[in-house]
Amino acid sequence: MGDSLFQLPDELLFTTLSHTFPCRDAQIRAVATLLHPHAAPCQNLVIHGTEATGKSAITAALLQALQEDTEKDEPLLRYVIINSIECITARHLYESTIAKVAEALQWRGAATRCDSVSQMVVELSKMLKYPSYPDKFRFVLVFDGIDRPREAPITLLPALARLSEIIPRITSVFIVTSPPASFLRTSFVPCIEFPNYTKNEFVTILNTTSLPTAPLPTTTIQETTELWNRFTAAVHDALARAASRTLPSLQHACTSLWPRFTAPILAGTHAPREFSKLMVAARVHFQDESLLDPGIVAIRSCSTTTQPQANNSAAALPSAPPSQANTPRKAGQFTTTTTPSKPKATANPFVSATTTDLSTLLPPTARLLLLASYLASHNPTRHDLVLFSTFHHGRRKRRGGLSVGTSGRGGHRGAQSKHRKIARKLLGAHAFVLERMLAIFTAVRGEWDPRWLDRDVDNTREMDADIEMAIATLASLRLLIRVGGAAAGGVAGDQMDRGGKWRCNVGWEVVRGLGRSMGVEVEEWLVE
Amino acid sequence: MAESHDDNPALFEDDDHRAVYIFTPAGHSGLPQQEKARPVKRRKVTSKRASSSVAAAEVVQEGEAETERTQTTTTTTTTTTAAAAFPRLFGGKESAEAAELRRQVFDTAWPVLDGRIKNVLREANRTTLEDVSSFIRDAEGDATRGTRIPAGFIITGPNIASQDLLFEQLSEALGKATQARFVRLRAAGAPNLKAALKKVIRDATAQVSIGGGGSDGDEDAEVAFGRDGRKYLDYDLEGLHAFLSAQQDPSKRVIVAFEDSEAFESSLLTDLLALFHSWQGRIQFSVLFGIATSVELFQARLLKSTARQLFGAKFDVVQADLVLDNVFKSAIAGTQATLRLGPTLLRNMLDRQRDQVAGIRVFISSIKYAYMCHFYANPLSVLLADEKSLTRQLLQPDHLQAVRTLDSFKAHVEAAVDARQLNHAQSLVEDDSYLVKQMAEQRLKKQDYLMQLLRSLHLLTSMDLVPGRFTDLYVSALAGGLDLTPIIDAIKRLGADDVPALINRLLTAIQTGSPDLDLPGWEDEAEDLISSLSEIRDEIEALAEQAREKGQQSLKSKFTAQSKVLRTTVVAQKVQLSQDTAKLTEEDKAFGKAIDSLVDLLTHHIYSDPIDSLFLHEAWAYDAEAPYRDVFVPRPGTTFERALTRPHGYLGCECCSKTTGTLSATLPTTCILYQLYLETGSLVNVADLWSAYYALVGEDSDVGLGEREALVRFYRGLAELRMMGFVKQSKKKADHVAKVKWLL
Ligand SMILES: Nc1ncnc2c1ncn2[C@@H]1O[C@H](COP(=O)(O)OP(=O)(O)OP(=O)(O)O)[C@@H](O)[C@H]1O
Ligand SMILES: [Mg+2]
Repeated sequence: MGDSLFQLPDELLFTTLSHTFPCRDAQIRAVATLLHPHAAPCQNLVIHGTEATGKSAITAALLQALQEDTEKDEPLLRYVIINSIECITARHLYESTIAKVAEALQWRGAATRCDSVSQMVVELSKMLKYPSYPDKFRFVLVFDGIDRPREAPITLLPALARLSEIIPRITSVFIVTSPPASFLRTSFVPCIEFPNYTKNEFVTILNTTSLPTAPLPTTTIQETTELWNRFTAAVHDALARAASRTLPSLQHACTSLWPRFTAPILAGTHAPREFSKLMVAARVHFQDESLLDPGIVAIRSCSTTTQPQANNSAAALPSAPPSQANTPRKAGQFTTTTTPSKPKATANPFVSATTTDLSTLLPPTARLLLLASYLASHNPTRHDLVLFSTFHHGRRKRRGGLSVGTSGRGGHRGAQSKHRKIARKLLGAHAFVLERMLAIFTAVRGEWDPRWLDRDVDNTREMDADIEMAIATLASLRLLIRVGGAAAGGVAGDQMDRGGKWRCNVGWEVVRGLGRSMGVEVEEWLVE
Repeated sequence: MAESHDDNPALFEDDDHRAVYIFTPAGHSGLPQQEKARPVKRRKVTSKRASSSVAAAEVVQEGEAETERTQTTTTTTTTTTAAAAFPRLFGGKESAEAAELRRQVFDTAWPVLDGRIKNVLREANRTTLEDVSSFIRDAEGDATRGTRIPAGFIITGPNIASQDLLFEQLSEALGKATQARFVRLRAAGAPNLKAALKKVIRDATAQVSIGGGGSDGDEDAEVAFGRDGRKYLDYDLEGLHAFLSAQQDPSKRVIVAFEDSEAFESSLLTDLLALFHSWQGRIQFSVLFGIATSVELFQARLLKSTARQLFGAKFDVVQADLVLDNVFKSAIAGTQATLRLGPTLLRNMLDRQRDQVAGIRVFISSIKYAYMCHFYANPLSVLLADEKSLTRQLLQPDHLQAVRTLDSFKAHVEAAVDARQLNHAQSLVEDDSYLVKQMAEQRLKKQDYLMQLLRSLHLLTSMDLVPGRFTDLYVSALAGGLDLTPIIDAIKRLGADDVPALINRLLTAIQTGSPDLDLPGWEDEAEDLISSLSEIRDEIEALAEQAREKGQQSLKSKFTAQSKVLRTTVVAQKVQLSQDTAKLTEEDKAFGKAIDSLVDLLTHHIYSDPIDSLFLHEAWAYDAEAPYRDVFVPRPGTTFERALTRPHGYLGCECCSKTTGTLSATLPTTCILYQLYLETGSLVNVADLWSAYYALVGEDSDVGLGEREALVRFYRGLAELRMMGFVKQSKKKADHVAKVKWLL
């Protein structure tokens, strides 16, 4: 041991690691050098790189290997990995650090409560500084994703960087996406970058790590492997350059395309050698959007209908293989879910929840309220009397009134429209007072809802609990949003406070659809 | 208005059931005693008519919990002090036994229905439950899942509140099917990440928080889990992990259900899912989302990177309409329903289900409320008791008197007079024992009526020719009676193959009855109907056979032939139109006759009268809409307005009784201010308001208040107006208040 000051770990270690993580040889060696007790252990180390470049996975695997490698008669290296994504608060981070260190050292009686960095330093010193350890003992603290802590003081990172000054045995490793200059506020920290992979690297990784396990029927393993190699290159060319730049998404794309790509081989139409013919046959699938954005629904239908679904898509995609039937993650189904014939909304408000169309989802009162709040959000207050008051006319006729057409005619109105270049409905929604929206609601209800036409004006003004329930529902669906201080305060903001401020959270398209479902052209009611 | 005036002020609860009652301070008994002169029926309605707001709103919100609680309390009170529970009606003259009997009838009638309804609801969710459980179970082994979190999206429809039962069942079923720990999250109970995690951990470990249930408090409590008793922060999933390890739970599954997913902040969902995903190897998290709108809308609110962490499947809950239909059939239309709800009320309830965001729960509560109202407030509801308990002694003269005031009694007597049954009419009016006998007979008639109604409905619906839903059909049958007219045309247009099928459907309907309606088959009572139907069927089949032998394609009747066939033939380049009415064969004619006789037969058997045509229907049908609306759809705004414009309705004082909507110095301050408020513009100058007020009540007026006193009252009144949401502080001018009301 004493014969050489600098000694790198066994070459075998690197070979096995490089085998599991191809194309990262240089980084693995660099990190190993900077962490290995017999090599050149450093105090702080920054590992950075973009998403899914193997930072976490490689660090963890390497440290495990190093720990086993140095484990001769006495422990020389111990490590813990703290994933800051899992830490909710700063205190949580400190406490789980201490707990993990104690566990790694099999230390009993570490304090459980720890509120600040200094307390953590004290605790760590107790465990690492004062007890005696072998000569070259190193302790590695890995802070993964430490640039995205949920709730942490700004001094956290510099303080963590100082740890190794106070406790010389410690090496702190910071895994971040991209390090801002001198964010640790200490001089010279070695940084190791994990760059994103190039095309060749991607292909190599895919070829070594995610080979199809079973060879295709009627072909040899050799042929399958060859085909897979050419296939992954093709997928990379088709997708990775444009959109899917990370290894997992590329992997996902490859595995979900593979069955469809090899379908002609299974069907016996093409031989595995005829790569270009296979490519031509599979071209439609390469254009499938769901490869890049798989969506949240992986299994479209869960009960007995899985089988017919598969048949459906087999019909739609001519060369869909039968083997797809048991992997129902289907392409294109997302785009084909538009219901062919929409049932009449009033007859059955809850029917067909698969559409994005709100008009089939909401009962009439809620729809009216949503329309009223859209008007309240998008019409200026000063026009309310003109638009909605029933005071002077008794009941007004439908006015094709104040929209674009007429606004050009009136003299001063024309002048006004010169100022406003952008249509109001394209602008964001303004906040409105609840009471105003309710007034608009009662006004338009009298005109739009045939059942309210014959009631006398006094009666239409009343607000009942059903309407309040509808407002509460719309709010809980986030179609109406409470704004202002009261919304955040929670306790202070009573939802039913008539003076409260709200905003409509649906767009013009949706509102137009909603209006049409009730036979109303909302456009006519917007002041341009 | 009060039903009776209770002398004992200690029994305060007695007044609680009344929406509004006159407040009489001690020594001030100016209560008008006109009540006793009123007929019973009207009183029932008026007692409930007055609108209430606060109490009613509570009823709606508390919903099931409330009714559950009242039920338990009422059952306990029956055992101890029975009479205290249901007040004696007839102005207190009702016998205690009668009141007690009413209560008993209610106590037996409701639980039957309640059980049936619960059954329907549980049944409705069954397939969803099975699907979700199997998905969660299978997702574990699914190779395509990777490290993604299994996520079930349950499309529940906009009324999330009514899905409480579904999630309860889910937690039961999934706990059983997968040995998982089930945690239910609602947006209101989980405002931020910490609170949500605390709830997840607390529920999954089924431990009570040490901090005493302060779920969103900032105090970070610690909990000890695991064998070594290490303490963990109560939002640390490590703790959950330690707990599950200590439980020797090999699967370590936790299912988190987001009941109202849309109401959660997107960022909170993102954080939680990222966290669950990061823990995926150690704790098997699965998530369920209750989705009110659609998966697509929900996905649009999530980050793509979050979406990539989910392995989702979509589940639909049985449509609310279908559930409503089933509940309606078993609880309202079915034979088990003791009380018939009348058409007006039903229409109202159904409309509300369709137009408003009102879940099935509200519907069920409404049914229960109708039962409660009927038995609580209608002394004649005692007639619904079975024969054994309803003895002659129990019927007091007041009961008979009450019967004689009924509208249906009047109609019945008048009909008797018209039909020249003068003796009958006279005895009804004068002879008590005759009336009692008639009432007993009426019981059977009611039974017959209901049977006839339900059987007719069942036959009608089983023919599959009626458009519209069962609920609408039932309501219109109650309101205006029922007969075959609407579908006669449809029957006549049927072809030769369809008619036997139709008859077969009718025959099975008669045989099996309807389990939904709890209607048994009535084969033995309908022998002649069955035989005539089979005859017609056999005849038509024979005719069709004959026609086929003769080479005719299909039978047509006179009804179908005319409308259909217009022949065009081209003869010598001219188009000839010819109608082939004349071409009916012998068989066709016979077929037409058979259909005629079928229609005749059915017309004979399918009929029903409107419910209010029955004598004494008031005793077993409840059709008051006002109490229902007041309780379930309260209108606080209107109530405030009414109280402020006409306070004497509540205060019962004489001084203000003449001022309706006009100013008077004797009115309470807030009312005066409200009147003044109505006359102002949108910004109210407080100084002006004060001077107007002081001019009215000041030293020079008849009330003659001193300035200090008036000022105190003024401020209090203004503060009350603000409390009720009429005015608010204006930001524009310091000494002004702004009107909150818009376009008034
Ligand atoms: N060179 C490689 N060979 C094989 N697998 C790799 C390689 N690089 C990354 N991976 C795989 O990619 C996945 C993502 O890697 P990892 O989580 O380490 O990325 P990361 O850099 O930490 O990303 P992030 O910045 O998002 O935390 C892992 O499953 C890992 O095994
Ligand atoms: Mg990482």
